[in-house]
Amino acid sequence: MSATAMGIAGIFALLLLMLCLGLPVGIAMALVGFGGIWLMVSLNAALGMVGSELWNTFSSYGLTMVPLFVFMGEICYYAGLNRRLYKATHTLTGHVRGSLAMASVMACAGFAAICGSNTATAATMTAVALPEMKKYRYDPALSAGSIACGSTLGVVIPPSVVLIIIGLYTGISISKLFYGGIMAGLVLTAFFLLTIVILCRIKPHWSPLGERRTLLDKIRVIPYCFEALLLFALVMGGLYAGIFTPTEAGAVGSLCALAISVIGRRLSWRGFVAAINDTLQISCMVFVIIAGAIMFSRFLTVTRIPFDLADWVASLPVAPVIVLAVIFMLYAIGGALMDALALLLVTIPVFFPVADKLGYDPVWFGVMITVITTLGAVTPPVGATTYVVAGMAKDDSLATVFRGVMYFLPAYILAIILLMIFPGIITFLPGLIH
Amino acid sequence: MLERLARLSLMLNRLLAAIAGVVLVGMMALACANVGLRFCGYPLKGTFEMMGFLGAIVAAFALGKTQISREHIAVDVLVRLFPPRLRRLAGSVNDLIGMLFFIIAAWQSARWGLNLQRVHEVSETLRIVSYPFVYGVALGCVMIALVFLVDLLKTALSSRKADT
Repeated sequence: MSATAMGIAGIFALLLLMLCLGLPVGIAMALVGFGGIWLMVSLNAALGMVGSELWNTFSSYGLTMVPLFVFMGEICYYAGLNRRLYKATHTLTGHVRGSLAMASVMACAGFAAICGSNTATAATMTAVALPEMKKYRYDPALSAGSIACGSTLGVVIPPSVVLIIIGLYTGISISKLFYGGIMAGLVLTAFFLLTIVILCRIKPHWSPLGERRTLLDKIRVIPYCFEALLLFALVMGGLYAGIFTPTEAGAVGSLCALAISVIGRRLSWRGFVAAINDTLQISCMVFVIIAGAIMFSRFLTVTRIPFDLADWVASLPVAPVIVLAVIFMLYAIGGALMDALALLLVTIPVFFPVADKLGYDPVWFGVMITVITTLGAVTPPVGATTYVVAGMAKDDSLATVFRGVMYFLPAYILAIILLMIFPGIITFLPGLIH
Repeated sequence: MLERLARLSLMLNRLLAAIAGVVLVGMMALACANVGLRFCGYPLKGTFEMMGFLGAIVAAFALGKTQISREHIAVDVLVRLFPPRLRRLAGSVNDLIGMLFFIIAAWQSARWGLNLQRVHEVSETLRIVSYPFVYGVALGCVMIALVFLVDLLKTALSSRKADT
């Protein structure tokens, strides 16, 4: 069997293990990598790879930023920071039609700036914002859809675990990816808000007007945004100025989040322990996937499939943008079937060299595939964020939440098209970093 | 017997997770101390390598607890559509594969650690031995393999009960 055929067989074996057995993605990738190296090189090489790659991955300095950034987000989550963000945005926009849905999206964007988890954002925002929207008789689909889609911003707006992993995996500067993610996240946020405005124009009864707040009320809630702003400015500013490395940014962010929460008496001991527990489990899950992905990519490298594919695609008599569109379509479909992080780690070794060969900016490509795969967090059949919202919103069925998500799909598509036509939106800020 | 094994697995994994939690907080403190002291012109030597070693302990010691909580990402879109018996079978195969893989990983990590111990490999800056941390990773792998074993036995037992 040729190396290429072996590689293709390996990819099919991986899909079989993941889809038909439901084997954890990290273990499935490691297993296929192990088997592939065994068949193509030797059993000793495969055994040696397991021991060395596991140690190299787990003890990688670069990866230590994952638990630290996750810890920062978890502390903020358990300290109820997003509840205060929602209250602030709600008070500031209360008298505008659709304001509660807009406040949900804006609070999600604000929380995304300090937390990289979709599901954590979805869980709290459902608990906080959904009862408010019910109280004001908002349409259930609009309410649930705005929360589910707003929560996906967690992965796009930095600090994001997905962007960190893309950076570590491809060698792209993580700071540059973070700055690229800011603009992409803002564009998505703007399109979500526009969707709410248009829906409320067409169906005014979906979002009755909220009460008008006094200027004093509005001034009073402004400090609620300070904590999130401070943490975001500290992390991004420190990275931009080169004061600390991304790992140190995560540590300083965690310490500041902890200090703010403890001084404000918002984090109980139980919350602190829960934050540590969640951080450990999320980080461990990420580490296992990365270790598996590295073993899988070692096997792919031996087969030379990524390079052969890149050469073949580059020689195709079609415009690069067509190839890119096909890749993005595959990411959109794949994102609907599996977790974004797992999908990216499985596919990056294959598609990244292709995009590079076609001459696309790596930062732009990295941010674009992040945006596209986050779409999968709200679309069936996987749609983890949608399930969280539907699970917590007892009165709304899963179908209602998915219907709400469908209203926001044009926003995703328009944002993706805009970012494709004007790549400078993503690459401008990273271009300022030297 | 199985109950006792399950309790032991849970207790040991909780203990390791607690150690990992303390190490996580330590990592945060170490990195922050380094940033602060660097400003004063006295950077902490060896922070880079210590962060790597501690990160390995955080990840490895949380392996078992993460599996107990079913936090390792899996794609179960198709499996959810299987009839219960086939689903149980897929689950058992999963547990068996997971257990075997982590036994191999533990064995290879221990071998790697033994090799480092034999050649007395030390870190570049602090000149500390790295093999205890490698053994830590091997221990984490043993613990997750134990979790898979308990799950496998539980599924086998429940299948037997369902058949009778």
